[in-house]
Amino acid sequence: MRLTKYLLPFMLVLMFSLLTGCTSNDHKKGETAPKQQTDEKMITIGWPLDVGPLNPHTYLPNQMTAQAMVYESLVEYNDDGTITPKLAESWDISENKTSYVFHLRKDVKYSDGTVFNADNVIRNFNAVLANRDMHSWMGMVNHIKDVVKVDDFTIRLQLDEPYYPVLNELAFVRPFRFLGDNGFPKGDTTQDSIKAPIGTGPWVLTDYKKDEYALFSRNENYWGEKPLVDKIKVKIIPDSESISLAFENEELDLIYGRGIISLDNYTYLKDSGKYKTATSEPLSTRALLFNTQSGPLAELKVRQAIQYAINKEQMVDSITHGTEKVANTLFWDAIPYANIDLAPILYNPKKAQQLLDEAGWTLQKGEKIRSKNGQPLTIDLIYIATDAIQKPMAELMQGELAKIGVQLNLEGADVMVGLQKLMDDQVDINFWRTNGPPTDPHSFANESATPNANGVYEAKLGLPNAKEIDNKIHQLLVGTDEKERVQLYTDILTMFHDQALFYPISYETNSVIYQPYMKDFAPRASEYDIPFAQMDKEK
Amino acid sequence: MYESTWMFCLKRILTLPFVLLGVSILTFVFIRFVPVEPAEVILRLARVAPTAEAIQALREELGTDKPFLIQYLLWIKGVLHLDFGTSFVSKLPVAHELFAKLPATIELAVAAFVLILGISMPLGIISALYKHSIIDKVIRLFTVMSVSIPTFWLGFLLLYLFSLKLGIFPTNGKGTLAHLVLPAFALALPTIGLFVQFIRSAIIEELQQHYVQYAQLRGLKNSVILVRHVLRNAVIPLSTLLGMTLGNLLGGAVIVEQVFSWPGLGRYLIESIINRDYPVVQCYVLIIAVIYVLANLCTDVLHRLLDPHLMMKDRRD
Repeated sequence: MRLTKYLLPFMLVLMFSLLTGCTSNDHKKGETAPKQQTDEKMITIGWPLDVGPLNPHTYLPNQMTAQAMVYESLVEYNDDGTITPKLAESWDISENKTSYVFHLRKDVKYSDGTVFNADNVIRNFNAVLANRDMHSWMGMVNHIKDVVKVDDFTIRLQLDEPYYPVLNELAFVRPFRFLGDNGFPKGDTTQDSIKAPIGTGPWVLTDYKKDEYALFSRNENYWGEKPLVDKIKVKIIPDSESISLAFENEELDLIYGRGIISLDNYTYLKDSGKYKTATSEPLSTRALLFNTQSGPLAELKVRQAIQYAINKEQMVDSITHGTEKVANTLFWDAIPYANIDLAPILYNPKKAQQLLDEAGWTLQKGEKIRSKNGQPLTIDLIYIATDAIQKPMAELMQGELAKIGVQLNLEGADVMVGLQKLMDDQVDINFWRTNGPPTDPHSFANESATPNANGVYEAKLGLPNAKEIDNKIHQLLVGTDEKERVQLYTDILTMFHDQALFYPISYETNSVIYQPYMKDFAPRASEYDIPFAQMDKEK
Repeated sequence: MYESTWMFCLKRILTLPFVLLGVSILTFVFIRFVPVEPAEVILRLARVAPTAEAIQALREELGTDKPFLIQYLLWIKGVLHLDFGTSFVSKLPVAHELFAKLPATIELAVAAFVLILGISMPLGIISALYKHSIIDKVIRLFTVMSVSIPTFWLGFLLLYLFSLKLGIFPTNGKGTLAHLVLPAFALALPTIGLFVQFIRSAIIEELQQHYVQYAQLRGLKNSVILVRHVLRNAVIPLSTLLGMTLGNLLGGAVIVEQVFSWPGLGRYLIESIINRDYPVVQCYVLIIAVIYVLANLCTDVLHRLLDPHLMMKDRRD
């Protein structure tokens, strides 16, 4: 057809111009991270969620990692479990352990130049305590009677009864951190919003585009050791695959944190040999929580048998690629009061079968699943459907348990659903994790003794000594004698261990992967403290 | 003639409130079927072990402790006063946040739309004119592939190729034209395949009409025949596809925005569903419903303007 004679060249030119038009805005590889007009050094990190309004006294949507950059606490919790001075240079605790006097540092200024003093500390405390219900998860909040000024740089925190973990809770990233006077809204209602994020920390928010990036600059008024680089850019990249790609494309200098990218990607990047990697000391524990309220798991021997039947070492190594360490106890040794001698339950399928036989769950001829009184030994486990580690672990355990005649039914669910079902006694096993420092192990103890949404209280209802455990927990939180407390923790953790309520799987760590031009630094065993101040790069 | 088009529009716009009422009820009910309530989710996501007091305090603050019907009536009363509620999470007015993110999504959808038309028109025409040739076969293979590739996979493929290997485009973010190209292309590609097929068959059909031969006999230039007559007629059925396409683009944007870190509505929706941020999800669905209805209305009007037969029919009626 003649019609076509003119058209083909015309169309090709049109398409070519369209495509070249799109790409005319040339973008060079790695433009974002290394490009700097001046000698300023900037480190760019990828983070899946927007940093939020940087309100020191509230939770979601504030990101803990960003709050920790801007705001500081009175005391600091270290990776080895010790507590050292921060904004308070020292403190005195009364004999009866109900009064804490904090001596504040006198050389601290907020990023806007205003002075940090007792009046400001009290204003912050009052703003937090105006909203006690919201912070009631933190045991201390329920015990604070008042906070008063002693002099310009001294305050006294008065409790109604002794509560030993006060310092640990004060070290936490929120809500007891301090906002400068100029950041307070009208009526000091910080639970709603703040005027501006003014803190004493090493970083100041200087540029921010919601859901795109947050730029932090060095706080020139900082009282402590000054950060090595001038700026930190937090790029918001919601998808973990996209974070890895951006890092490979040199748009990011580092990826930091637990679960920020998938372990497959982490291993791929690590194995490429092009980047530096590091892992922190353990921060929290991945475990299974057994529901003892009803069903086969109400029997101790069944719970123990499951633990003996799984080759944990192989499971953790093959699935986490060495980023997590095998856990034989619920808490890592560096967690306060947790360094106690507990006999680990090691892989021993024969012993598992023997325990089940003893419990009356026997294998009939020709059957693959054990049964007792005609009831087959089936157990339900819920995992988070989108979790890249829980799913393969659940499948592996299913295989291991089948070998000893236990049928494990798996169900993938939304992140929020599992524990709810366990508490309602609709499922037998759930994945569970500890909170990590600085609130472990006391917040674990506290949560285990009261009904709340972490599930332990309900899960342990079937234990013969559940009441006794609750009583001991109450004693330890209000007790004043340190020796007695050590003994109580030992008792409680031993009881949990002996009753096989939890199946500790692995200790989770913060994994870091960074570009070769970055200088080495040590990641911290903290959910929120990223050591930006120690980071530096060569170009 | 014009009056009838105006009346047509008016009638359609009058149905909008009923559509929105239905949509609002469905959304309100369905979002509450999602297990685990917002108060608990919000506390848990904040890495706080939720105590009964904290959950109750938050429930009262969010208003989710009230009976379902009361919640709905309160919400709908607000909506009638153009108050779409406050986000459970950010505590900011929902409408403010959604409308702040709407431009980014519209920018992406419009860019994808331009790409769809810019690429599918020439490909469809070439494919029709060179029917059964090698070039036609190549184009048809491309169209089959483009409709079969899942968007998220395509997104990562484009990132791998054009960002990582060729270093042409950045992997994430928004700001320059370079940032827009890959997400817009990922969003457009599945629809391009659809359009090419559609245009191809429409043109082939038109080319067989007698008026084409007649025009050629009259000595009209081929380009004139194609542009003025064939294309114009072929585009009429295409216009009905356009309205649906806009809806698909907004839906597809949810995934594309996630992959390319594009700060639009879709990404916000995903976050809000995970957070059980009811007011955001409800307002989002309302906005999308309005856009859908209006886009369909525009399509119908366009269809009428392009095809006078329809209007004549109306007048006869």
